[in-house]
Amino acid sequence: MFAIDNFCYVWYKIVMFNQKIYTPEQVAEILQLSKNTVYQLINRGEIVAKKIGKVYRIPAVSLFFTLTGLDYDLYQAEQKDLKEIPRIQREISKVRLSL
Amino acid sequence: MKRKITAFVDSDVVISSLISKLGAAYFLINETSLKFFISNISLKELKVVVKKLGLKNEALERLVKKQFYITSLKTDLKKIEEKYKDYVMDINDSHIIAGVVKSKVKFLITYNLRHFNVDKIKRDFDILIMTPARFLQYLRSL
Repeated sequence: MFAIDNFCYVWYKIVMFNQKIYTPEQVAEILQLSKNTVYQLINRGEIVAKKIGKVYRIPAVSLFFTLTGLDYDLYQAEQKDLKEIPRIQREISKVRLSL
Repeated sequence: MKRKITAFVDSDVVISSLISKLGAAYFLINETSLKFFISNISLKELKVVVKKLGLKNEALERLVKKQFYITSLKTDLKKIEEKYKDYVMDINDSHIIAGVVKSKVKFLITYNLRHFNVDKIKRDFDILIMTPARFLQYLRSL
């Protein structure tokens, strides 16, 4: 259900929401990595990139995994939950105290 | 036949899944390829929390019936706290560890990571503690 193919999802977001796209050189600069490391991450699938002709282009959303350890959709889903978590945990703590 | 991955689910994740259908907790709990557990003590607290947060008890009952196995713990909380106090920061969370151990699962899914002694739990019981999103990410990597 939620397991939309990550690659398709990322490119869907770019097309639909006109998200920013980077070159590997720009990503290396942003993440403070060497250009070679960025290409290695692309080859390992840790950064989702699209090869257009001979060059790679990287959507901003695909940097999420590298930075957070989560795919973009999972990161968003977690953020959704985290908005309510303090309120939920407060109530649970109160109830556990009275068990 | 391939065995299902088993996980014990903390109450904050169960409640989260009832509040938002767009959250990681909801995605996880509705994942039918997994086997989820809560304990009888968790269920008791869930019923109270649901009421306090103004959620529908029927929704909780439906969810529990559909997605969870209930692990029965002896309700002597003092004994549970004594046995598992070293695994939690807040002694009132002890029953979660008791439930995890009794259920013989490999994962505890919670948003309350800071309240558990993650390293000691891993060392003594070989159980990993993760948030719902982190667990879903782990499942994608399999």
